[in-house]
Amino acid sequence: MISVIGYYTTKFGELWNKALFDLVDEALFGVLKETSIEKKQIDAVFFSNMMSGVLENNLHSPSKIAEILGGHIPVFRVEAACASGGTAFHMAVKYLEAHAGKTVIVIGAEKMTDFSPEEVISALTSASSGEEQEAGITFAGLYAMMAQIYFAKYHYTKKNLSYVSYKNHYHGSLNENAQFRRRITRKEAIASPLIAYPFGVLDCSPISDGASAIILTSDKNLLSKKNKAISVLASEIATDTISLKNRAYMDGIEASSIAAQKAFEGAACTRQDIQVAEVHDCFTIAELFAMEDLGFWKKGTAGKRITSLDTMLGNGGRLIVNTSGGLKAAGHPVGATGIKQIGEIFLQLTNQAGKRQVKGAEKGLTHNVGGSGGSAVVSIFSI
Amino acid sequence: MSTSPVKIWRRQKEIRNLLNRKGKIISWTYIYAPPIDFKKNAPYPVVLVEFKKGERAFGQLVSTQINDIKIGIRVKSVLRKVRDVLSDDVIAYGLKFERI
Repeated sequence: MISVIGYYTTKFGELWNKALFDLVDEALFGVLKETSIEKKQIDAVFFSNMMSGVLENNLHSPSKIAEILGGHIPVFRVEAACASGGTAFHMAVKYLEAHAGKTVIVIGAEKMTDFSPEEVISALTSASSGEEQEAGITFAGLYAMMAQIYFAKYHYTKKNLSYVSYKNHYHGSLNENAQFRRRITRKEAIASPLIAYPFGVLDCSPISDGASAIILTSDKNLLSKKNKAISVLASEIATDTISLKNRAYMDGIEASSIAAQKAFEGAACTRQDIQVAEVHDCFTIAELFAMEDLGFWKKGTAGKRITSLDTMLGNGGRLIVNTSGGLKAAGHPVGATGIKQIGEIFLQLTNQAGKRQVKGAEKGLTHNVGGSGGSAVVSIFSI
Repeated sequence: MSTSPVKIWRRQKEIRNLLNRKGKIISWTYIYAPPIDFKKNAPYPVVLVEFKKGERAFGQLVSTQINDIKIGIRVKSVLRKVRDVLSDDVIAYGLKFERI
């Protein structure tokens, strides 16, 4: 059995006094301290990062991490666009399945605010097809096109999207590490300045700095000494074409459905068993797609179901979604996001989530998507 | 971020087959926050077009106001300069669309 035994995250946001590897340093030593584990007990590190090579000519991260930690353990860098974190976690799980009695750190980090929005948007588009890049289309634009197809098919408007932003900003206000702590109204979300029609800025996750780390172990002796731990029931990845236009359908993400189907089978549990989920809301429409693709809500109904806000804390719903604030309000330092999602589920299932605690949560799910749906990772956890 | 004449030349082989084709818009957006090579043109519309034989292509829509763009509108593919000229002075031509 593989268990998550600790979590640390830096604050997310504009962290001008920290470089990428300062953030990595803080998260590595933060998670070791949090779990009272010595660095010599760590057998390997999995590092998730997307853009340091493109943006700041900063690669060979395994060696940079070795310099921070000391020693000579294996360190692996993993990249799958915005799904880098989930993918690094998945690979760490596979590593531990093959190595009994080992302990690893999975860390994700991204430094984005040193650059202009246009430079960051260009770097992000490296995760789209050449044709999409040549058309000047951004990820906001690709998801906007998906939203337009969904709207036309099921008769929704951007008003339906505003509930996602409203809910996630409310959750963000309860998360001390979130980039945005201010609550917003649905009216503000609908009227926010346009980024890619029909999306306003409050439909989009922000540009962020941050690093998050978890400790994962297959060591039974170490696990027996830890009272805060959750088990990994399943972690599954699915991929799809890089080009949005070549997918089987565009009003949802098929890779998410496939990964979810496999994860629920692997975990031997049902959708009704999950009380908390962190889903990939890079844009508001993406949370609606996630709820349908993961099988929580029927295809075509998410636009309506979100309006009851029963996935928001305090409304008595059976499943609460994105208690961290999601990518929308907690922030989206790309490489860190997939790890922060797992960390949030760890906090929830070990009753450490403070003001945003979902009472009695026993099973949780994370869902991390790369690009416009070219990769998706779904993982399920239990106390 | 840089282009090269060779990279553009490779792409031309595909573009040639996609020119002067008729199709209809199956989705669209209007980009207000662009990548850096497109900054001068923003805001601009981008459409996803399905040609008559079912093939699809992305491209910017030229000479059209946002209120006139709808799913289902018929368009034709044309050759246009697609992004800002970068420090290497290479002019990239590619696919755009205009209304029929």
